[in-house]
Amino acid sequence: MHITKVFWYSIVICIAIVIWGFFAPDGLNESTVSATAFIYDYFGWFYIFVIIAMIGFCIYFMFSRFGKVKLGKDNDEPEFSLLAWFAMLFSAGMGIGLMFFTTAETISHAFISSPNATPGSDEAIIESLQYAMLHWGLHGWGLYSIVALVLAYFKFRVGAPGLISATLEPLFGEKIMRGPVGHIVDTLAIFATVVGVSSTLGFGSAQINSGLTYLFNAPKTLWFQLIILGVATVLFVMSAWSGIGRGIKYLSTVNILVAFVLLVLLFIVGPSTYILNLFTTSIGKYAGNFIEMSFELKPINGDQRQWINDWTIFYWAWWISWAPFVGMFIARVSKGRTIKQFIAGVLLAPTLVTFIFFSVFGGSALYLEQNGIAKLSTLVTETVTFGMFQHYPLGTVLSFITVFVIAIFFITSADSATFVLGMFSTGGQLNPSNIVKITWGLALALMAAIVMYSGGIKGFQNMLIISALPLSLIVTLMVISFYKVIQKNE
Amino acid sequence: MNLLNVRKGQFVYYNNKLHKVYSVKPFFKKSVHLIRLEDLEQELVTAKEISLYKPKHLDSFLFNYKRYTLHKDVKAEVGDYILIINPKPDSLDHHHLHAIEIVSKIEANGVISNKSNGIKHNEYWVMVAGRENGATIIDSAQPDDHYSIEHEALELESHSRETYIPKIGDIFQKNTSDPVVQAMVVAIQGDTVYLGGGIEIHVNRLTKGDTWSLITRIPV
Repeated sequence: MHITKVFWYSIVICIAIVIWGFFAPDGLNESTVSATAFIYDYFGWFYIFVIIAMIGFCIYFMFSRFGKVKLGKDNDEPEFSLLAWFAMLFSAGMGIGLMFFTTAETISHAFISSPNATPGSDEAIIESLQYAMLHWGLHGWGLYSIVALVLAYFKFRVGAPGLISATLEPLFGEKIMRGPVGHIVDTLAIFATVVGVSSTLGFGSAQINSGLTYLFNAPKTLWFQLIILGVATVLFVMSAWSGIGRGIKYLSTVNILVAFVLLVLLFIVGPSTYILNLFTTSIGKYAGNFIEMSFELKPINGDQRQWINDWTIFYWAWWISWAPFVGMFIARVSKGRTIKQFIAGVLLAPTLVTFIFFSVFGGSALYLEQNGIAKLSTLVTETVTFGMFQHYPLGTVLSFITVFVIAIFFITSADSATFVLGMFSTGGQLNPSNIVKITWGLALALMAAIVMYSGGIKGFQNMLIISALPLSLIVTLMVISFYKVIQKNE
Repeated sequence: MNLLNVRKGQFVYYNNKLHKVYSVKPFFKKSVHLIRLEDLEQELVTAKEISLYKPKHLDSFLFNYKRYTLHKDVKAEVGDYILIINPKPDSLDHHHLHAIEIVSKIEANGVISNKSNGIKHNEYWVMVAGRENGATIIDSAQPDDHYSIEHEALELESHSRETYIPKIGDIFQKNTSDPVVQAMVVAIQGDTVYLGGGIEIHVNRLTKGDTWSLITRIPV
């Protein structure tokens, strides 16, 4: 199987958490709550700085003399057309979250808990989309682009294996990074990826359950969510076992197209003019308040600080935990592009598409509540999208499509994650064995199940905050290492 | 063939010559883009003009002026050409049916190609250089009765003397180094070829033998 020590370290950590969560769910929950509170209090500022620093690095590398450097050998050409590349970038970084938070987050910011204004006020409604854009826009993609840039440079230009530890060799030396310290680095990257992906699977199960409840009156219980998770796990483990890679890739492409069909349909049946106005205003607000929002920590007001913890810092942790996984995908499809092209593409194209998704879905939801047509803010997070569809023409069709899109995103994300985790735990091999991939598939499912069982969605948020802290430090070191090498080599 | 049945990567016969489909654009009059395997020339045709051929074990064909034989039991080595027979790409892979790639690295469960694809051992057959015993020549749909391999060798020899001269922009891979080196021809002076990265080599060492493989050719 050619597995490394990293595989065993990571599996042991995952099994320990699963056993702890199964036999002492309250204990696990209390521990993660305490650890999260500690991180919020003492390291909230660090998350903010790390994310801002990544955007700073993006701008620097784009306009510095390194902008012309190719991610590959000097004679390598891009493998994919610009359009295909943009599509791949977007599909690599986006998934269930796009269906989950586009409505729920904007409704929450506007009518439940606003960062600055009174919930329900006009200001809160305008601000809601602006803050959703903050959480899903340039900051997150800036982080992805830097992690992907470092991975691509080391893999395609330096010829290093596709491991996080390999990118730190220039800083600490080959001997240290191929020994226990390097193993710890890779283990942390794997653990953060497992937590990040299993959180997404947990959110996905909850939302599929809500969709089925809306469409077929299915029971809305933890057990039903666990059954959904189990069925999906069987499907993606089977796909890893039988190696139907072609089918999964095809499914992934089709799913992105279906998601766009959903977007267009909602735009047509929804309040189109309202959406366009909201999109335009929010873009302006986002651009105008970019710096202030980026550094916002609200140190004086406790309630507002809690909002920053619950939303902004949680999101930064979530993006960080997904960064090694998504970064690897973005790096792979970007071979042969220059650093300038790469950063411009990764930063701008997916950000713009994400803003459009948020404006259409979020705008349609805001319109209903603002005009007293529906009280979406009383629904639980995973139900808001389906609650919104019921008030528009073709609502049932849109709900069906949404459940389909989430289910497919679920399987394709999990399938991709098992591959990347397999790669990380076999020394960067591009052909990890089926046993390794299936082990990771089961680990992802068990982690998702146990966190759902012990702490629900809040439990996922806490695990994310904890696992992202060491990884944020590693990501910072990766950038320093990259800078050292690129200065020397180019 | 019916356009509905044409897929990227299929081996087909057109004008009695073996080609590979590299793109299908259904909305154009000439929907099928082919590449002739023997000299990598491109053709634009309609689906009706082509007939499908499914390559088999020990099929022998010319690829880029060199003869290869497909072998399902040979394990690939660095520098070998491989033909993807049974594509099962993982999330990070982008290979497809009948893609021809060069092996850059060998792993336990598969190989890594020059295009950074992880290809498992059951996904490819090796294109063994030359004609193996018992091989079937598949360059033409209706082979010429008077055709002889000696005659072909002479033809190839004369052809390679005139066309196999490296050009500026060609990319070669050195198969004997780890990690594999890929470099572009940046200058030519007489019989000396200068590659990127300060590599200086005699033209015969570059084009003869298995040390160097031509990865990308500049179209004439």
